[in-house]
Amino acid sequence: MKSPSTEPKTKGADALSAPKPPPLRLRKNDEGNLHYRALLEAAPDAMVIVNQAGEIVLLNLQAEKQFGYRRDELLGQKVKNIIPEGFAERLVADALRSAEDALAQQIGKGIELIGRRKDGSEFPIEIMLSPLESAEGILVTAAIRDITVRKAAEKHLAQMESRYRGLLEAAPDAMVVVNRRGEIVLLNVQAEKQFGYHRDELVGQRMKNIIPEGFAERLISDGLRSPEDALAQQIGTGIELTGRRKDGSEFPIEIMLSPLESAEGTLVTAAIRDITTRKTAETNLLHKVEQLNRSNEELGQFAYIASHDLQEPLRMVASYTQLLSRRYKGKLDSDADEFIAFAVDGASRMQRLIQDLLAYSRIGTKGADLLDSSSEDALQQALINLRATIAESGAQVSHDPLPMVLADEMQLIQLFQNLVGNAIKYQSSGVPRIHVSAAMNVEKKWVFSVKDNGLGIDPQYFERIFGMFQRLHKREEFAGTGIGLAICKKIVERHGGNISVESQPGHGSTFRFTLIGGESKS
Amino acid sequence: MNVIGRKGVPIEVLLVEDSPGDVRLTKEAFRSANPSIHLHVATDGVDAMAFLKHQGAHIHAARPDLILLDLNLPKMDGREVLAQIKKDESLRGIPVVILTTSDAEGDITISYQLHANCYLNKPVQLDAFEALVKSINEFWLKDVKLPRQAQIGSV
Repeated sequence: MKSPSTEPKTKGADALSAPKPPPLRLRKNDEGNLHYRALLEAAPDAMVIVNQAGEIVLLNLQAEKQFGYRRDELLGQKVKNIIPEGFAERLVADALRSAEDALAQQIGKGIELIGRRKDGSEFPIEIMLSPLESAEGILVTAAIRDITVRKAAEKHLAQMESRYRGLLEAAPDAMVVVNRRGEIVLLNVQAEKQFGYHRDELVGQRMKNIIPEGFAERLISDGLRSPEDALAQQIGTGIELTGRRKDGSEFPIEIMLSPLESAEGTLVTAAIRDITTRKTAETNLLHKVEQLNRSNEELGQFAYIASHDLQEPLRMVASYTQLLSRRYKGKLDSDADEFIAFAVDGASRMQRLIQDLLAYSRIGTKGADLLDSSSEDALQQALINLRATIAESGAQVSHDPLPMVLADEMQLIQLFQNLVGNAIKYQSSGVPRIHVSAAMNVEKKWVFSVKDNGLGIDPQYFERIFGMFQRLHKREEFAGTGIGLAICKKIVERHGGNISVESQPGHGSTFRFTLIGGESKS
Repeated sequence: MNVIGRKGVPIEVLLVEDSPGDVRLTKEAFRSANPSIHLHVATDGVDAMAFLKHQGAHIHAARPDLILLDLNLPKMDGREVLAQIKKDESLRGIPVVILTTSDAEGDITISYQLHANCYLNKPVQLDAFEALVKSINEFWLKDVKLPRQAQIGSV
């Protein structure tokens, strides 16, 4: 608050501990008196000079205005008329202290009292006293400030604070309000519970006590940013930290910060959530995913090793039954010939199954990285690989311009080869006609279609045909182990796509699969 | 057997193979491809090195014109056998044909790094295996000129 402009006056906190100030001497009816009056009028506050009897001896224009009296109505009147309580009493000497001592105690301190205007209305004031020595003895100069506005503001603030506190307590999370020095100024009951402290134990304490790391540091400004910027960066983002309870135990928390403007400057409200459950769930999930990955990998390895190692003894069985059949056919009886024929057939069928199983497991275990590849080149290569089949069947294979995709090129060739090969194979009569095209779907993935005019498939088998070793025909009708489409499915899925079929018996089939687009190597 | 190969000299082939079934199958296949071949068999790597160095029971062993080497062998594996042969000045001139079921990229690479003369996969089908043995005979034992001076070194 502004001090009255009486100049060599002791004021402020120092005055309390300093020796008693020498009173200003006010002489009657001289020039100094006139100067003093002028100073009084220049003061921004209402100024009233009171004698030891509590009577007003001098006042300025501001005092007239503030209290609604004319000067002559106040001069000589008791100050109690305009400040009913707390002023006169303070200046009165009692058995314990002299008038000087009584006054000295009040000097320099703002005292909040109530002022009363001529019309009887009251208003809050703050007065500052200073002694003034005069011919009539020690007078008291009172600077009186109308603090209506400030009081209203304070009340408003108190209301806001209680509302804010209501909100704070209603919050489901622990809430802690911290000042710029990292000290806790306010907290809710959830915060007490979460950290195991009583409120009194936390207010005024450093935030570091309950969040040892990562909190205070985040609010500090450095050469690159102001405190506001430092805070602004953290607002609204969940930060995962560790909280420490009173008993020293720690637990994972997530905090959200928001700024709170207050009379003491910008405060920070921290919403603190105990995320123990979430963390545990996350850890469990991660663990499960790891386990699943490991067992998947093991399964892949198992299939590979099993099929690889099974091949060896089987090669012996197959080779020797074939040798047996070749050397002794017609030399034993007809039963022996038949038995050997079944053994040879069984062994060679099992060889094909194991080779297919090996090929299937290799998709996962021996796959190459997915790179930008031309699907058109892959189709061309597949057609070259199939040239004998195409020539033999007289199949007509056409295609639209095909896009660049992200793929393991060898597997992409195999995919086209299996699909086109199937389309040629499952034909009743007539010339196989196959068309390959691609279009981009809403998810920005390429949808490839391999359309044929073959036998078609009953919708009830749409899912089954993509399973391992699933066949819809007798071996005598169509050869094969039934792994082809399972391999297609595994290739497409390894590429992050999916495969499906649309067909009607007798009306051909369209196999569709999706692939992610690639960059053109231009 | 005392069959005579080209220029009246018998062709000596060392087969290093631990599977009796494969040994027999290879013998059968060579018999039909070229009966004038002496096929010697070592069933593990140690045995193979003893044969090549005329040690122990192999003191009178013939120096082979060609070695057919499997990779996965007991005691000393095929890669080690290959490395030792190619390190040995008197043996490194003998062509070594790797004949294995492994088609692992790593095995192929290391074999050539160890100076294998060629790498072949054992086909799964009998017909294909017989055809392969026939082509080994045609190429390595008929078309290819093999060094004969090593005969001097052998006992």
